[in-house]
Amino acid sequence: MKFVAIIRQVPDGEAKLREEGGRIDLSGATMILDQMDEYAVEEILQLKEKHGGEAVIVAFGPERTKEAIRTALAMGADRAVFVKHEGDADPITEAKALAKVLAEEAPTVVFTGGQQADWDSYALGPAVAEALGWPSVAWTTAFELEDETQATAQHDLDEGAQRVRVRLPAVLTTQQGLNEPRYPTLPGIMKAKKKEIKEIPAEELGVTGTKVEILSQAIVKIERKQKILDGTKEPEKAAEELVRLLHEEAKVI
Amino acid sequence: MLDFYRVQELFTEEERAVQQAARRFLEAEALPQIRTWWEAGTFPTHLIPKFGAMGFLGANLPAEYGAAGVSSAAYGLIMYELERIDSGLRSFASVQGALVMYPIFAYGSEEQKREFLPRLAAGELVGAFGLTEPDGGSDPGGNMKTRAHRDGDHWVLNGTKMWITNGSIADLAIVWAKDEAGVVRGFIVPTDTPGFSAPEIKSKMSLRASVTSELVLEEVRVPDALRLPGAEGLKAPLSCLTQARYGIAWGVLGALEAVYTEARDFALSRRTFGEPLAKKQLVQAKLAGMLADHTKGLLLVWRLARLKDAGKLHHTQVSLAKRDNTYAALKAARLARDLLGANGITLEYHAIRHMLNLETVYTYEGTHDVHTLILGREITGLAAF
Repeated sequence: MKFVAIIRQVPDGEAKLREEGGRIDLSGATMILDQMDEYAVEEILQLKEKHGGEAVIVAFGPERTKEAIRTALAMGADRAVFVKHEGDADPITEAKALAKVLAEEAPTVVFTGGQQADWDSYALGPAVAEALGWPSVAWTTAFELEDETQATAQHDLDEGAQRVRVRLPAVLTTQQGLNEPRYPTLPGIMKAKKKEIKEIPAEELGVTGTKVEILSQAIVKIERKQKILDGTKEPEKAAEELVRLLHEEAKVI
Repeated sequence: MLDFYRVQELFTEEERAVQQAARRFLEAEALPQIRTWWEAGTFPTHLIPKFGAMGFLGANLPAEYGAAGVSSAAYGLIMYELERIDSGLRSFASVQGALVMYPIFAYGSEEQKREFLPRLAAGELVGAFGLTEPDGGSDPGGNMKTRAHRDGDHWVLNGTKMWITNGSIADLAIVWAKDEAGVVRGFIVPTDTPGFSAPEIKSKMSLRASVTSELVLEEVRVPDALRLPGAEGLKAPLSCLTQARYGIAWGVLGALEAVYTEARDFALSRRTFGEPLAKKQLVQAKLAGMLADHTKGLLLVWRLARLKDAGKLHHTQVSLAKRDNTYAALKAARLARDLLGANGITLEYHAIRHMLNLETVYTYEGTHDVHTLILGREITGLAAF
């Protein structure tokens, strides 16, 4: 059996991002394997450990994505296929390119992050499934392989959960709670150096550009209003004003 | 990591991966509880096998002996990340790797390497290093009273060692003793050997998340097969100290990052006289000094790592880095403690814990002053010890 995790590299949530000319400058930011994709990597490693076979990483992104691929290989995946693409690409474009890789790999099951930390689109997993005509289960918190043709999964809803049976091959997206991703270890990092990363230029898979062009990017700035009422002269008026602000503006009383 | 000059670009991809992996592991497994361990005066022994699984122990030694086989810079980055949490955690790893695994690797027989190194690397065995004695640490050759005399195919050891990290939790101790001819020799002493005891030193106000002990050897019989055959003379233990000091030069920068980051964040959020504390010139001057020291120190250890891997490292170069980086970290911790005001005296913040730990680091593994004299001798050719 063959288990695939689709991964991407994203800025570390704690990284300090800079805005430069209406774009986010990532050159000084720490880039990491998307934490939602980490659940995907852990899941295929556990599947391989339980059922045997191969754990394969499939990645899409610019050259630096290799660092995230090495992390996944250091966790224990066997090899990787890397679709290399510099510049922006929307999830549908990415999914079409990835689908061609997956059609060739013919895996038993595919996992990827339930959402993407950089775009927050939720679209990649379902779009890959759509491009392949495979079923898709989103936000998985439990997965059990029954045999090579079917599996059961738990799918989280806002106020509950569903258990489903899905025909394979299928694409599942992860949700926190699916598993506890292992740490990449130093021996793992050393072994990862020797593992194969097969590189495919995205153009060879028909990527000519992005269908959604990013015009500008901005970082949310959270600033306090620093509103201070002077209560030393007319304390009653100040108190009334405070109540009014809490009621009308802050809407907390 | 704090990296004002983008030194990370000088690291290999694998070295960066090691740093990230170490930080992630330690932030999850050690940072949330370090204050509790420190206050209770306990070393988190449950982390030892996890350190082993992560590959932190003797990480720069070859994979054929069960170690991770990483570069000197990657090894240094592990020390950096450990000490960013606490000097006690780094001290544990320094002793296990540089002072126990290294001498077995460098001076041990092939049988000794095969028997001990993989289990030490995995954290199944804990080691200690006994060189310093109660009468003083800066003159280990002159002060050494521990004796080993030959008795058939055994050696009988007598003496006392002092300030020994990991002593009471160790399974084996590398003990240095003078033979009947006055030659310093090294022995791998299993701590369950009759006559061996290791009472823990209590009431420390520094390195509280680390075990420090006395080693007492009374007629301890060790087979000749546990003598390190390649070690003859004081040079052998001193070469181990060079390894450990190399790691300290990296480690203390981790502590510096921790106190700098904490002080900066505090100064930005604390308001005084109607504006952030960070807007005061005196505060900015302190922060600028800390950042400058960290930046210079990181370039120093990066270069040291490359010299080490190229086989060009001289122990006096390590002395300079241990001396300057440790003093820089200690000064930064004191300044951070100062910037935090009253908050800085509690363990709610990291500054005072690092500050108290670094007081030890300042005088262990060669005191600041001894490293100054090593450099003085290097410069003038005149020993002034």
